[in-house]
Amino acid sequence: MAQAHTKNHDYHIVDPSPWPFVGSISAFIMAVGAIMWMKGMAMAGLKAGPFLFGAGLIGVLYTMMSWWTDVVHEAEKGDHTRVVQLSHRYGMIMFIASEVMFFVAWFWAYFDASLFAGEAKQFMRLEFTGGHWPPKGIEVFDPWHLPLLNTLILLTSGTTVTWAHHALLHNDRQGLKWGLILTVLLGALFTVVQIFEYTHAAFGFKGNIYGATFFMATGFHGFHVFVGTVFLIVCLIRASAGQFTPKQHLGFEFAAWYWHFVDVVWLFLFLAIYLWGSDWGRAAEKILV
Amino acid sequence: MYLVFALFAGLIGGALSIAMRLELQEPGLQFFTNPQTYNVFVTGHGLIMVFFVVMPALIGGYGNWFVPIMIGAPDMAFPRMNNISFWLLPSAFALLVISMFVEGAPGSNGFGGGWTVYPPLSTSGHPGPALDFGILSLHIAGASSILGAINFITTILNMRAPGMTLHKMPLFAWSMLVTAFLLLLSLPVLAGAITMLLTDRNFGTTFFDPAGGGDPVLYQHLFWFFGHPEVYIMILPAFGIVSHIVSTFAKKPVFGYLGMAYAMVAIGAVGFVVWAHHMYTAGLSLNTQRYFVFATMVIAVPTGVKIFSWIATMWGGSMRFTSPMIWALGFIFLFTVGGVTGVVLANAGIDRNLHNTYYVVAHFHYVLSLGAVFAIFAAWYYWFPKMSGYLIPEWIGKLHFWIAFIGANVLFFPMHFTGLSGMPRHYVDYPDAFAGWNRISSYGSYIFALGLLVFFYGLWLAFAQKKKAGDNPWGAGATTLEWTLSSPPPYHQFETLPRITGSEH
Amino acid sequence: MKTHFWNRAALAVLGLSLCLIGSAEAASVIGQPSAWEINLQQPVTEVAQFIYDMHNWLVVIITLISLFVLGLIVWVVMRFNEKANPVPSRTTHHTGLEIAWTVIPILILVGIAIPSFRLLKLQVQIPAHDIVVKVIGKQWYWTYEYPADQGGGFGFDSIMLSDAEAAKAGQPRMLAVDNEMVVPAGKVIAMQVVGADVIHSFSVPSLGFRMDAIPGRLNETWFKTDREGIYYGMCSRLCGQNHAYMPIAIRVVSPEKYTAWLAEAKKKFASNDDTMKVAANAAAQ
Ligand code: HEA
Ligand code: HEA
Ligand code: CUA
Ligand SMILES: [Cu+2]
Repeated sequence: MAQAHTKNHDYHIVDPSPWPFVGSISAFIMAVGAIMWMKGMAMAGLKAGPFLFGAGLIGVLYTMMSWWTDVVHEAEKGDHTRVVQLSHRYGMIMFIASEVMFFVAWFWAYFDASLFAGEAKQFMRLEFTGGHWPPKGIEVFDPWHLPLLNTLILLTSGTTVTWAHHALLHNDRQGLKWGLILTVLLGALFTVVQIFEYTHAAFGFKGNIYGATFFMATGFHGFHVFVGTVFLIVCLIRASAGQFTPKQHLGFEFAAWYWHFVDVVWLFLFLAIYLWGSDWGRAAEKILV
Repeated sequence: MYLVFALFAGLIGGALSIAMRLELQEPGLQFFTNPQTYNVFVTGHGLIMVFFVVMPALIGGYGNWFVPIMIGAPDMAFPRMNNISFWLLPSAFALLVISMFVEGAPGSNGFGGGWTVYPPLSTSGHPGPALDFGILSLHIAGASSILGAINFITTILNMRAPGMTLHKMPLFAWSMLVTAFLLLLSLPVLAGAITMLLTDRNFGTTFFDPAGGGDPVLYQHLFWFFGHPEVYIMILPAFGIVSHIVSTFAKKPVFGYLGMAYAMVAIGAVGFVVWAHHMYTAGLSLNTQRYFVFATMVIAVPTGVKIFSWIATMWGGSMRFTSPMIWALGFIFLFTVGGVTGVVLANAGIDRNLHNTYYVVAHFHYVLSLGAVFAIFAAWYYWFPKMSGYLIPEWIGKLHFWIAFIGANVLFFPMHFTGLSGMPRHYVDYPDAFAGWNRISSYGSYIFALGLLVFFYGLWLAFAQKKKAGDNPWGAGATTLEWTLSSPPPYHQFETLPRITGSEH
Repeated sequence: MKTHFWNRAALAVLGLSLCLIGSAEAASVIGQPSAWEINLQQPVTEVAQFIYDMHNWLVVIITLISLFVLGLIVWVVMRFNEKANPVPSRTTHHTGLEIAWTVIPILILVGIAIPSFRLLKLQVQIPAHDIVVKVIGKQWYWTYEYPADQGGGFGFDSIMLSDAEAAKAGQPRMLAVDNEMVVPAGKVIAMQVVGADVIHSFSVPSLGFRMDAIPGRLNETWFKTDREGIYYGMCSRLCGQNHAYMPIAIRVVSPEKYTAWLAEAKKKFASNDDTMKVAANAAAQ
């Protein structure tokens, strides 16, 4: 198509691709499947929800995989000139900005419930919480226990990923590899600890605002950790295949940015939900106020 | 593609509204045996018009087509991502349409809780799967818009032609830049809010259920934190379009270019901190209401700057009254009318008597149906020759304008009256006292719809007559880059980047 | 030929705004909407009067602004078209003008904000009240409860009359109810508004209040009127299928009649007591 002409600029004119269309259809199927699953609906007598959802999900994942594989190939071909790389950076920054706003929604819900737990006019909430946060009858986690451990794990993983980056910049292949491996392991460890913590929660997900805000906020964070870990594993594989050069390694940089973003969100979660939202927080408040 | 999609969705959204007007023409139940069905129609109408007509047309359609051209780029930064932004829309639209045909409230189909989807009506009030389809539809449409926004920001920041500084960039590109930021920062919050709805509905969480310590008003805050920026998302691109049309046909550069650009930035920024003016009756404290009254009224100032700058652009000009120009003139006046009633509503004390009445319906249709949609048509007549290479006969655009102008005013002006005298929104039936103005409104809607026939006739004529448009059908005033290209523009417009030297915008 | 239209449009708008201002005296019915009404319903409380007056004032302002914009458009259309002005100027800046159209709107807005804040305070700060009524919005009717310490201790449902019943009672269709909320004239009535199932909104335009009835949230508002009569309102928050069919009717009577009504109502609604308990307890928190 575009190759028929000569192109006198550095932008990247991509070839037509089937993935957007496939991705959209998959998303549609996934949505329909999810609803049928949640509602236990049947199609022609068959409870097809989980299968549709699964099929859609596979489609979406396949789309992502193929799409990004294409992008990697294009990068190898040299389509990603300086200016195109800059575009990708802008894109990633904007994506992270939108993710930040997504977490704003969950923090908003959390602070609405925790700051106004005792608002008199909300009489039903007052009855439920007993006028304080955490709500009465809710046994919360001790922030200095597993949550602190997880904080340390994530912070360490932030340094290991930076180590990997420095190694890459100095073309130290081994350092890059080990830095990444460590980061991935720490990420996985975080997830394991988080799951362990979830299974030992003294409060439920359903029927109470503490569980709702706690699990949805930390849960979405956990999901991001998972995604970030996968992202880093992909980088590890690519690094092993010798794909990154000290000059061009956007895939790695983005994984690192994303990882730091996940890290920062965790710090806020730790401070707001685990620490301030615990008995410690209330004790500190009594001293300060 | 976006435009065809928007046109198609517009027909459906319009058809729903005509059905509503038919019902409201007389007191009593005419067509809807079940009042809930009417609510479903209103909800569908609102959602379709907002998410599947105005946004795809202004942002997806005109934005994707002309932003790269105007800044001298060969394409958007991420063409493939652009492609998925588009393809997600039919999926989302399909989900919304399915939603109208599956059970919502017990015993009836579809979700009938309004486009704002307030809980608990949207949680305990609609146990059926209809709203789950609606929610996921919005998730997908939202994802599409977020990707689109990322694309616009990147394109505009990184792909301007050599020499085109931000301060030389055409105003339409400016408007899209601000719009994209609004989308990027507001939509994720909506996504969060409707995800909470989804888990409240299906997984037993209690974000909005006071019995479990939740708060229905929390949803309203989250929704309007998105919802108010959303209304500017729908009008800022229109501002950009009108600036170009006015300048082209006054044969003058835009007056106060920088002021115009920064007015939009100001509108966008302040637009993020006024959301609770939709919640004056929810029981907010005195000080909260005071703050939101104050902040809301502030927006009138930069908007005024825009209105007066357009007039000043025409002042001293040599105006040609082509069809895009009269649509733009109509826009300026009618948007002002809609804007000043917004200022009335901004006063919490007055809004006490007007909230959720037809006065609000009148306000937002003046800014949307007579604002955003007029701009969509203005842009259509302005850019159609460029996009298709063919001319639409001038008389079509003008006839369409006058029918639409009269029809829309007959349709929406009386709603101020019914609203003032107390008629609430979302009413399938009303006390007899409101009958008079409602009948007039309904007549107006038929006139407005008639205009569409002229519009389609014009479309048909353009493709039947195949009158070639030439590169620049509008003459000396048309100075932006799109007019330097052939009509329609080649597939990847600039093989060699244009170099911007002059100080013209 | 275009200018012709604009002129006529301008005249029409001007005429209309004059009508609006003039119609203050014209409305005939009080407490309910009237046919072809183009302004707010007749106010009967201090708050409603304030709203009414301030709105009239705003109508003048916004009409003038709209006319001003329209006038400018008409002027440029006549004066600066291709025929009248073949050679366009190149002016793109005029600092004085730009400052003016920033500062003047600010001044106008400040002028609006001052009375607006006074009105807001009047509405939101509830004065010492004589009577409290609990108002509970339900799908799709209203329940009113009168606390025992004010001679009440009962509650009752208020349900819309069918078209035939309303006609028989000589009351307006879709507004009349079986049991009205009854309060005495000249007293400050505070209302505690809650929703039982979904959000409703309790609103009577001529009394000048509108307050959402939200589950789990006790919202308060008030009114006081010296004028006896019956005042109608309608549920103002989409609440499901019969949202259009849950009107509000408040009957304001003399204090003596009110005392009589209390005694009678106590007997009549005594049987309701049990079913009301739950809601009353909830609302009493
Ligand atoms: C394109 C969409 C759009 C736009 C641009 C606006 C613009 C404005 N809107 Fe509107 N609005 C909506 C769409 C829009 N709105 C919708 C959809 C709803 C209802 C949602 C729902 O409930 O479903 C709504 C509802 C709504 C409400 C809530 C009403 C209620 O529910 O009770 C309020 C209250 O403050 C409000 C205010 C304003 C204001 C102050 C502006 C300002 O931006 C207007 C500024 C413009 C001008 C003022 C005119 C030009 C200025 C001059 C000529 C200068 C001189 C002027 C003065 C000094 C006054 N709007
Ligand atoms: C952009 C938004 C938009 C537009 C254009 C319209 C257009 C119309 N609207 Fe709508 N309306 C809303 C947004 C819009 N509306 C919203 C958000 C609500 C609130 C919903 C809620 O409360 O939940 C609402 C509610 C609403 C109500 C209140 C219902 C109630 O509360 O009970 C009524 C009643 O008459 C109404 C009528 C109409 C009519 C007759 C039109 C006519 O103008 C329609 C005629 C149709 C056309 C003229 C088609 C236009 C074609 C296009 C726009 C496509 C063009 C595309 C290209 C050229 C590419 N609308
Ligand atoms: Cu109750 Cu609307
Ligand atoms: Cu708003």
